[in-house]
Amino acid sequence: MRELCEQAVAAALGAGASYADARVIVRRSQVVGTRNRRVERLDDVESEGIGVRVLVDGAWGFACDRRLDTAGAETAATKASAFARAAPGGHSRALAKLRPAQGEYRTALEKDPFAVSLADKIDLCLRAERALEHKDVTVATASVRAQREHRVFVSSDGVATDQELVECGGGIDAFATRDGITQIRSHPSAHGGSSAQAGWEYVESLELEREAPRVGEQAAALLHADLCPSQVTTVVIDAEQMELQVHESVGHPTELDRVYGTEAAYAGTSFLGPEDLGSLRYGSEHMNVTADSTTPGGLGTFGFDDEGVPARREPVVAEGVLRNFLTSRETAARIGSGAGGSMRADGWSRMPLVRMTNLHLEPGEGSLEELIAGVDDGVFLQTNKSWSIDDKRLNFQFGTQIAWEIKGGQLGRMLRDATYTGQTPEFWGSLDAVAGPEEWVLQGLTNCGKGQPGQHAHVSHGAAPARFRDVQVGFGS
Amino acid sequence: MSASLELAERALRAAEADEALAVVQREVSGLARFAGSEVHQPTLIDNEVVELQIVRDGRLGLASGNRTDDEGLRELAARAAAAADNAPADPDFPGLAPAAEPPTVEGYDEETAGLEAEEQAHLAAAAIEASDLDLYGFFTSGLTEVALASTTGLSVSQPMTDAGVLALAAVDGASGYAEQTSWRVGEVDPAGAAREATAKAERTRGAKGLEPGSYAAVLEPYAFAELLLYFAYDAFSGLGLLEDRCYAAGRIGDKVFDKRFSLADDPLDPRGLPKAFDFEGTPKRRVDLVESGVLAGVLWDRRTARLAGDGRETTASAPQSRVRHWGPLPCCLSVEGGEAGSTDELAELVGDGIYVTRLHYLSVVNPRDGVITGMTRDGTFRIRHGRVAEPLVNLRFTVSVPELLAELHGLTREPVLVNESSFYDERYPSGMLAPSVATARFDVTGTGSGPGV
Repeated sequence: MRELCEQAVAAALGAGASYADARVIVRRSQVVGTRNRRVERLDDVESEGIGVRVLVDGAWGFACDRRLDTAGAETAATKASAFARAAPGGHSRALAKLRPAQGEYRTALEKDPFAVSLADKIDLCLRAERALEHKDVTVATASVRAQREHRVFVSSDGVATDQELVECGGGIDAFATRDGITQIRSHPSAHGGSSAQAGWEYVESLELEREAPRVGEQAAALLHADLCPSQVTTVVIDAEQMELQVHESVGHPTELDRVYGTEAAYAGTSFLGPEDLGSLRYGSEHMNVTADSTTPGGLGTFGFDDEGVPARREPVVAEGVLRNFLTSRETAARIGSGAGGSMRADGWSRMPLVRMTNLHLEPGEGSLEELIAGVDDGVFLQTNKSWSIDDKRLNFQFGTQIAWEIKGGQLGRMLRDATYTGQTPEFWGSLDAVAGPEEWVLQGLTNCGKGQPGQHAHVSHGAAPARFRDVQVGFGS
Repeated sequence: MSASLELAERALRAAEADEALAVVQREVSGLARFAGSEVHQPTLIDNEVVELQIVRDGRLGLASGNRTDDEGLRELAARAAAAADNAPADPDFPGLAPAAEPPTVEGYDEETAGLEAEEQAHLAAAAIEASDLDLYGFFTSGLTEVALASTTGLSVSQPMTDAGVLALAAVDGASGYAEQTSWRVGEVDPAGAAREATAKAERTRGAKGLEPGSYAAVLEPYAFAELLLYFAYDAFSGLGLLEDRCYAAGRIGDKVFDKRFSLADDPLDPRGLPKAFDFEGTPKRRVDLVESGVLAGVLWDRRTARLAGDGRETTASAPQSRVRHWGPLPCCLSVEGGEAGSTDELAELVGDGIYVTRLHYLSVVNPRDGVITGMTRDGTFRIRHGRVAEPLVNLRFTVSVPELLAELHGLTREPVLVNESSFYDERYPSGMLAPSVATARFDVTGTGSGPGV
């Protein structure tokens, strides 16, 4: 595969490119899903090909070919160069310097998820689903997934990398319905569960079957819960919802390509400007957010990104102040800070984009109980249900599957259909505590969308429960 | 026989099964994406994916891949067999679709299929050059072919083309949006879309806030189509109906919307992006979902139709297998036009309210009640005294779509084809025919950023 990449890069340089990189990816993924005691999904998908990216007269071009042979490599290189040459605009691009290097990376794992039989995966799902049973649970689902990617990368800057990334995950959902009301509870997180870059031991650690009775009972109990009232109040947000909060209101706005407008037409831009680096107060002093592509188990963990930049850990927000953007080599050169390291492509047929890798809210101190004990009157919010944020990542509204009234420092009655809304800097400015390392949880999501044509990124976030004051709960008015 | 159908037949022969269905999806496409008036992410894709669904002793297995040589197909068949052999028997399997002649539909254009990268780049340039403001968006065109072959004698294929331009004209403090989509590139005017976006952007400077509350509103087709799509995926799903968790549950046959509102899934309409058959191979047909405000029915695939019983039949609404667990889905929604000649006429009908061009980042808050939240962007205005007036910042809305549709002041006469594909995964062009609409109720629950980049 490395030889094919080298042929593609040579062909691109021969076609007039000043820079070229080539990426061969062979991906295999499996999804097993059950629904109401029936196998709903049993997919085994393979995809392979080569993608070639070039710079010709300062213009990017990208083309791909599914044939892993010399003809495929050279065709992709030639087409990418021709597309770049035809691209309109006054192009002028520089790339941050990168030391020539060769390297390998393999996911550390104990149990190869593809060595676990499909029958065992189905059995796990069916057992977990059975444990969700409750008279008001009308739909029970369980799913597990696994993916292996072999990624080989070569660039004309002298970088050659060979990586094998393995990930797996799973989750369960219970839908309860009665008298025209439908409620959902999930474990370990919403939207398909959680994944990690790890072996099957990660799926086993999710304890889907053990957690299922609680999930089913809570879904049913929500049918009888009171509506969460609209009010401005103190909220304590669980780790999972905090991870989505970090993703949407810190991760995306600090992607430097969005800051420069290159996602404007689709995903949007950012309320941040290049001039905010090092000075903008993003939130309170309790807010510490770190980008870390070395996190063990993170879906954004690798040896090298899709430009060949080595993995790293660096602060994005430190004590509430913006310290770094997420960058590519191009955007890092443009802002004169950073070295790239966040470029990722969804497979061989897509151009790499600036993406989150693993982005964490660093822990503070104390337990969840202590956070709640510090609230006289408020709401505890758990597990994402709906999510929306504006194109500059300022106004957001999230809904959670379940909420609990807090009175006198203790959890009270269960509440349903809770939402909360705010403006990003004001919201983070109201952060007054993050729970400690013992409450910190790492979870991975596989549905982060961006780019045209669209690309899904697999991203992990770590967070602990956090407390915010004076938050609008409910739609407001 | 097309090359894709030949490949499907080869894959079928490789299967070791009692029953089998081979699905081939081929894509040759180019997308010239631009930002700040220069192409920055041009992507050319050439791929062919073959999927094999097999049945062995009542057990189902599925595998897909893009290696199409004999060895690749043998390995594909082996993976599908392994999946089936590990699965329990499926008592609800409805069987594969019988052989049937699909309807003859439009949707393929030789000129569009033949567009090369240089021409795609030139059409992007035409949009860029027509805008006085920085332009963001893309020009894209592609050839997609879907072919199905099965042991039941199914042997069908459909080549389809699509071309589209998306134009966001934007500078600091101003932005406007327009798009055009067709299966004929000759009907797409990149410069025209850019000019529409630029003219809209120029009117958004100096945008002001708005007090939250319930407003009458005019929604352009871009906004109306996106809102309806999010609603329709849940509301008109046979699976959601069977599971008693979607808006349609308990409401079929009821008059729940304004009598001016009629909605169909119409894959045969040549004004849209026509489809001849679904991903089970069943011939497509028009399905009326709402007739003059009455909720007429929902969509079914073969499995959900069997589960429903009572002789229920598929409406040919099976999507690609990777999203089959969502249940049957619409592919070609179409809203019947009204009597208004323009959005200006709709503004007159509204009198006092707001005007919305485009929406952003929608999310379903409560599927049972059809409650959806999101933001407006790139052209939000106040309507005063029946005229589009001053620009507004982006508004957060949280609306019950059924309430929004319950009282309509009017719709424009001619629906517009709005692109509904973000081109994730394999390309499968989809769009909605939607007019502009004037509603009595659009609930604004907050304000966000202003227009512009």
